[in-house]
Amino acid sequence: MIRFLLPLLLLVNVSAFANMASQGTRATSAGIDVVTYPTGVKDVVVIIGAFPAGDALGEGGNITIPTLTGMMLDRGTKALDKFAIADRLENVGAEISFIVGPQSLELHAKCLKKDLPLVMGLIASELRTPAFPAAEFAKAKQQFMGSLQESLQSTEGRAQEAFGRAVYPQGHPNRPHSIAEYLAAAKTASLDDVKAFHAKYYGPAHMTLVLVGDVSAADVQTQVGKAFDGWSGGHDYIRPAQPAVATAASEVTVPLSDKPSVSVVLGQATGLTYRDPDSLALRVGTAVLGHGFTGRLMGTVRDKEGLTYNIGAGVSQDAIADGAWDISASFAPALLDKGVASTRRELQKWWTDGITDTELADRKQGLVGGYFVGMSTTGGVAGAILVAIQRGYDLTWLDGYPEAIKALTRAQVNTAIKTHLDPAKMVLVEAGSVKPAGGPPPAAH
Amino acid sequence: MNHRVGSPLRRIAAGACAAFIGGVVLSAAAMAAAGPAPAPPAAAPGFTFVKSVGGIDEYQLDSNGLTVLVAPDHAAPVVTFQVTYRVGSRNEVTGTTGATHILEHLMFKGSEGFNDPKGNSVKQYLERVGGQFNASTAVDRTNYFATIGRDNLDGYIAIEADRMRHLWLHEADRQSEMTVVRNEYERGKNDPDSVLMEEVTAAAYEALPYHHPTIGWKSDIEHVPIPKLHEFYDTFYWPNNATVTVVGDVDPAAALALVKKYYGAYTRSPQPIPTIYTEEPAQTGARRVVVKKPGELGTVVIAHKVPNGRDADQPAIEMLDAILSSGKNGRLYRALVDKGLALNAGSGTDLHRDLSLHSIYASLAPGASQDQVEEALLAEIQKIKTGGVTQAEIDRVKQQYIAADAYKRDGTAAVASEINEWIAVGDWTLYVTFPQKVQQVTPADVQRVANQYLNEDQSTTGWFVPVQPGAEKGS
Repeated sequence: MIRFLLPLLLLVNVSAFANMASQGTRATSAGIDVVTYPTGVKDVVVIIGAFPAGDALGEGGNITIPTLTGMMLDRGTKALDKFAIADRLENVGAEISFIVGPQSLELHAKCLKKDLPLVMGLIASELRTPAFPAAEFAKAKQQFMGSLQESLQSTEGRAQEAFGRAVYPQGHPNRPHSIAEYLAAAKTASLDDVKAFHAKYYGPAHMTLVLVGDVSAADVQTQVGKAFDGWSGGHDYIRPAQPAVATAASEVTVPLSDKPSVSVVLGQATGLTYRDPDSLALRVGTAVLGHGFTGRLMGTVRDKEGLTYNIGAGVSQDAIADGAWDISASFAPALLDKGVASTRRELQKWWTDGITDTELADRKQGLVGGYFVGMSTTGGVAGAILVAIQRGYDLTWLDGYPEAIKALTRAQVNTAIKTHLDPAKMVLVEAGSVKPAGGPPPAAH
Repeated sequence: MNHRVGSPLRRIAAGACAAFIGGVVLSAAAMAAAGPAPAPPAAAPGFTFVKSVGGIDEYQLDSNGLTVLVAPDHAAPVVTFQVTYRVGSRNEVTGTTGATHILEHLMFKGSEGFNDPKGNSVKQYLERVGGQFNASTAVDRTNYFATIGRDNLDGYIAIEADRMRHLWLHEADRQSEMTVVRNEYERGKNDPDSVLMEEVTAAAYEALPYHHPTIGWKSDIEHVPIPKLHEFYDTFYWPNNATVTVVGDVDPAAALALVKKYYGAYTRSPQPIPTIYTEEPAQTGARRVVVKKPGELGTVVIAHKVPNGRDADQPAIEMLDAILSSGKNGRLYRALVDKGLALNAGSGTDLHRDLSLHSIYASLAPGASQDQVEEALLAEIQKIKTGGVTQAEIDRVKQQYIAADAYKRDGTAAVASEINEWIAVGDWTLYVTFPQKVQQVTPADVQRVANQYLNEDQSTTGWFVPVQPGAEKGS
C-alpha cells in the first residue's frame, strides 16, 4: 500500500518546489557571476562563492602556495588587521571563511540581512587587498604544517590520498600531492610566492557568488557592484585535455600503527565529468549499490554480515574535470580480508547483473524526494546552485535535475555501469594496522 | 544508523572559533508568545494542553502520558518528526554498558508491522521518499528522527510508533549488529583525542554512570545478552518516557491527530520508569590521566564538573566559554593559537541531566609541550578568576546570540536537534529561555562561576602524548 501511494505523495511535494529557476536571478556584476535566490527565511543571508585558485594551480611551483594564500586572506587587509576584521564580524554574529580545494577557492559566509553591506565589503577587501603580513605568514605556515602532521594519522585521509594518487595521472587537476610532499614544500614556501600567486590568479573573471535567503536581486547587484568595482583578473579552471583512464588493478597499503579500524577504498577513474551523457545514469546506479541504508553494500556487508559500521559508494570530483568512482569502508584488521571479499562480491554482482526495475524506481523516488528535502534550507539551496553552475548548467537545472532523474531507464543505467567501470581494473587501498605481507595475522576478536 | 554517541552539546570538539550550541534569543514574536497560554492553540481531542513557550506548544496525550511538542514552520513544505526517549548510557551498569546504543541499532531491524520482508521498514520507507533520517544515543537520551516532505509524515509516524512497542529483538540480529557496533567502537579508537576524552571523563566521574562511555566497554558490547536488551526495551520504551517533537510545515491539529492515531493505542508503562539515585561524591583533589599512543602532536584537556544543564549558573558558564573560545577575539586564540602554542583551542560544557562536564582544551602546535600549553590554559582561567571579563566581551557574545536566533530558524532539522538536547537535560523550554538568560549575564557572573567551579582540586587534566609506533607498549 505504501508503495502504491508513494508516486502520488511525491508529486505533492514536487509541486511545492515547482519553477525554482524562476525564483532566482543570475546576472554579472563587477565581472562576477552573481546568483540571488530569495527564500522564506527571515533576516538570514547565506553566501557561498568560488573561483579557480585551488591546489591544481600550484603545479609547477611550490605546491603549498594556493593553500597558504587562502589561509592569509583573513589575516589582515590593507585597511584592517586580523583582529579588527574579527571584531567587525563577531560584533554582529557574522561569519566568513575560505577553503582551498583541488580546483577552487571557496568562500562561505552568513549574516543578518542588515549586515550584508558590511560582510560583502569585508569579503571583497579580503579577496582583493590582503595585507600579507610577514608575521602572519610565519604563523600560517606553522599551523598548516601542524595540520598536515595531524592528518598523517587519519586512516580515512591517508586512504583517500593514496587512492587519488593511484587513479589520477601526473598533471591531472584532481591528483593530490602526498602529505610528505606538502610538508617538504611548506618549508621553502615564501611570502613572495604567495603574493605572486594572488596577483596572478585572484580576480572576478571566473568567480561565482551565490546569495540565498532574505535577499533581493537588485540590492545584491548594487552591493556586489560597489564592493568589487574595479577588480580585474582571474584564471579559468584547469580542464584536462585527456581524461584519466583506468588501466590495471593494483593494491596499495598505507601502514599506520595502533589503528583498530582499517580504512578501505576500492575504485577507479571514470573519465567522466558530470555533464557527460552517461554520468547521471552512473550516479543512479551507484546509489543502488552504495547509498544509504538500503544500498546493496549496507544491506549485505553491514546488515547481513556485520562486517563494518560504514560502507558506501559514490562518484566524486567530476564537476569541473573528470572524476573517480569508489567504494569506501572500514573494517577491523581481523575482518579486513573477509570484508574486502564481501565488498568485491557485491561489486561484481552489481556490475555483472545490473540493477532491477524495482531498485531503479525506488532510487529515483528517493533521489528526487531527497533533493527537495535538501532544498529546504538556505545552505542546501546555495550549495545546489553553486555546484550546478560549476558543472556548467544554468538555473534551469534546479528544475531539470528531477526531470532528468525520472527520465532515466534501467538500460541506460546498466549500460553506464558496464561502459565506465571495470572491477578488474580497480585500485584497492587499505590504510591502518594492516598485517604486513608474510607477517603474523592481526589479533582475532 | 550513523549514530552519534556523544552529546552535541559538547563544544570541546570544535576549533577555537566554536562556542555555541546554536544559542538563540527570542524574536519579538516569540517573546510575545512566551509564558503559559490560557487555551490550547490547536484543537486537540485526547490531549491536555500543557504550555506554549517561544512558539512551541506542549501537549500530553491523556491515555498514556506521551509528551508532544509542536512547532509550526511553513518556510518550506517539509517536516522534521522526532521521538526522544529519556534513556541513555546513564541508565546502564557494569555488564550492560553500551546497551542503549546497541538497542538503538536494533531499532532498525524491523518491527511487527514494518520490516524488510514486508518492504516497508523504516529505512526502506524513508529512503524511498528521500527522507534525511538517523538516530543517536547520548548519556541522557536516545532519539530517532527524520526530515521528510510534509505528505510523508503519516507514514513515518506509523512506523516510529510501531517500533516503540512492537520491536523485533532477535538474537541473530544482535549477533550481526554487535560486530557493526564494535567497528563503530574501533573507529573511535583510531582517534587519540577521542580516547583521551573518554579517559578524562572516566576519571572525572567516579560514581555517576557518566563514568563509562556511551558506546560502552568493548567486552560489554560483545557479550550483552539479548534478554538484557529485551529488559532494557521493556523498561524504557514507553510513551510516558518519550517526547515527540514535530517541527515544520504542519497543521498542529492534524499533526496531533496523527500522533494520537498511532501512539494512542499504547498504555503507560506497567512499572514506573526507574530513576537514578546515585550521587557523585565530592572530589578531594586534582586528577590526571595520560594517554600514550602513536601520533604526531599532543593534546591537553582540563575538565571540571559543573552543575546540571538546568542550573541557573549555566548561562554564565556559557558566556565564559564564548569569551574564551569565540573566534579570533576569543582569549584562547590570542593566548595560544596566535602565539604558536596550539593549532586550535577551545572550551565548552557537555551539558547533562546530572553533573555536567566543562572542558578547556588545546591541540599542540609543532614544537610546543604539554607543560607549556597546560600552563597557558590555566593562566587564562586565572586571569578571569582574578581580573574578570569586560563588558565589551559580554556585549559581543550577546550580539552573536541575536544573530544565532535568526540562523536557527533556517531549517527544521536543526531546531528539532537542539530541542532534543534540552529534553535530555530535563527541560525543553530551555531551548527558548536559555538564550534569554545568557542575555542577562553580567561580568560579575562570569568571574563568580570561574572562581566557583574551575578550581584545581576539582580538576581532571588529560594529556595525549604521541609516541613512535611500538614505543607505546611498556613506556
